[in-house]
Amino acid sequence: MTTSRAEPGDPPSGLPELDSVWRWPLEVGGVRLLTPVMAASGTFGFGTEVPLCDRRALGGMVCKGIFLTPRTGAPPPRIVETPSGMLNAIGLQGPGVETLIRDYAPLWATWEFPVLVNLNGETVEEYAELAARLDGVPGIAGLEVNISCPNVRRGGMLFGHDPQPAAAVTAAVRARTRLPVWVKLTPATGDIAAVARACEEAGADALCAVNTFLGMAFDAETGRPRLGFGTGGLSGPAIRPLAVYLAHRVAQAVRIPVIGIGGITCAEDALEFLLAGCRAVQVGTATFVDPNAIGRVVEGLRRRRLPPGHLSSIDACSRQDASSQR
Amino acid sequence: MHDLLAPLVSRRQVARGSFVLGFEAGPIAREVRAGQFVNLLLRPGPLLRRPFSVYRAEGEVVELVLKAVGEGTHRLLELHEGDRVSLLGPLGRGFTLDPSAGQVTLVSGGLGVAPMPLAARQARAMGLRVCWVHGAPTAADLCTEWEGDEVRWATEDGSFGTRGTALDAMPESPGQVLACGPLPMLSALAQRRPAAQVAVETVMGCGTGVCLGCAIPLASGGYDRACTEGPVYRADSIAWERLPAPTCRRGEA
Repeated sequence: MTTSRAEPGDPPSGLPELDSVWRWPLEVGGVRLLTPVMAASGTFGFGTEVPLCDRRALGGMVCKGIFLTPRTGAPPPRIVETPSGMLNAIGLQGPGVETLIRDYAPLWATWEFPVLVNLNGETVEEYAELAARLDGVPGIAGLEVNISCPNVRRGGMLFGHDPQPAAAVTAAVRARTRLPVWVKLTPATGDIAAVARACEEAGADALCAVNTFLGMAFDAETGRPRLGFGTGGLSGPAIRPLAVYLAHRVAQAVRIPVIGIGGITCAEDALEFLLAGCRAVQVGTATFVDPNAIGRVVEGLRRRRLPPGHLSSIDACSRQDASSQR
Repeated sequence: MHDLLAPLVSRRQVARGSFVLGFEAGPIAREVRAGQFVNLLLRPGPLLRRPFSVYRAEGEVVELVLKAVGEGTHRLLELHEGDRVSLLGPLGRGFTLDPSAGQVTLVSGGLGVAPMPLAARQARAMGLRVCWVHGAPTAADLCTEWEGDEVRWATEDGSFGTRGTALDAMPESPGQVLACGPLPMLSALAQRRPAAQVAVETVMGCGTGVCLGCAIPLASGGYDRACTEGPVYRADSIAWERLPAPTCRRGEA
């Protein structure tokens, strides 16, 4: 393939515009996304708290993780900055599902972009009960089952370590809702491909890879952990290569779409996940730094052209390996 | 709320190791109220923004006071005039001044001077008499700038003014009390003056209310967000025993 000399900063010519390959809106796991870039759970609140964000860029949003009942969250300090990242232990502070249904869902029903609810529970039955309560509520486009939160004492990430409990939660949610069911995976597992396949077989419509990495920081002055909860979840650019790898493993392992998450701050980062086999991405920590991070990522993607061979590499990631590994 | 690329326009030293930096950010300067803050982003620099109370706002310029305690603050002090940072603000809820109070006493410990010049100006504009009480470890650490009708100083080593903290130099009839400074000073103030308004410093993420990282434990139970419901609180509404002092690893602030 020959390419002509481009202006400095220009992508190589002779390649298709991303837009022409990637038609927006797009259908991912039963949800119609307006762009391939979504707001990740816990980084966009209930969609009313982020100012200065270009909301037309939002492909969709996953709301702050919700439990059946209100939770006060973890004691401070709740965040610690680390090199190129942050540890957080917020502890899923939130108002409980009834408040969500009463105060937020009616608002979401009037919004252009789809809103998914991030589901949390300490038992399989709690997840199932939440799914049942949210089924048929206008304004909710889907469920993201969180079997990967590291900041709760019971449930959460514990369900995501192994294929069997992951499948049990997925199947229980699937049985109680007609909504699309996405499952958000934890990196804290020996074989993320096995967990991914188990969730797919249990009825998941899409998988989100990945949640934060379990981490810890000590204060040398006091000798104590620097987070009130002790441990926390690491996010931000520090985890991006780890997350790209795991998202790639997941995309290789399943036929359902994968949504990539982990340290995305710009279009180039998002493209990495897309090349790794993901159909869409979620932006999280970057929104804390730049409220319009998603707007910038989408604007950057619009202006990008794909590198040579992109179609085959995406196909390779998401289809060929899936069938060869099965 | 604005997100502005703001050039550095001025810099001066106000105490040992403490500097006031002025940034051109007209829309923020025009809106900000005493006790509100901006969340500052430096690129290249640390991942997260850093919150700073607004020290003064005049014309197009927003002033912040800071001390070199770590990499981020050292880098800020190395900026040249014209270098730009991103300022997000004004953020949070500031002090509420009561025009019928007659007098307001500003109590600041160390870098707790940050919100006070703005508070003094707002109070005087409302016809309030302003007494500013400022404390620091030693005379060299006292802020050289003050505003108001009266100023009182305190140093822990007794090298200037009253020996002790700013609390020890407060007038007997302070009127309305606004305070900012180290947590031990603020929690001691809460015992003596439960109705005082205190501006608390805490670790902060987004500054806009979404990350829930800046949790302040409330006396009534649960938490709220320093960046949104705060950073100014009625002193007795905070569960001080559950509020840890903000710390940073050496070289990382």
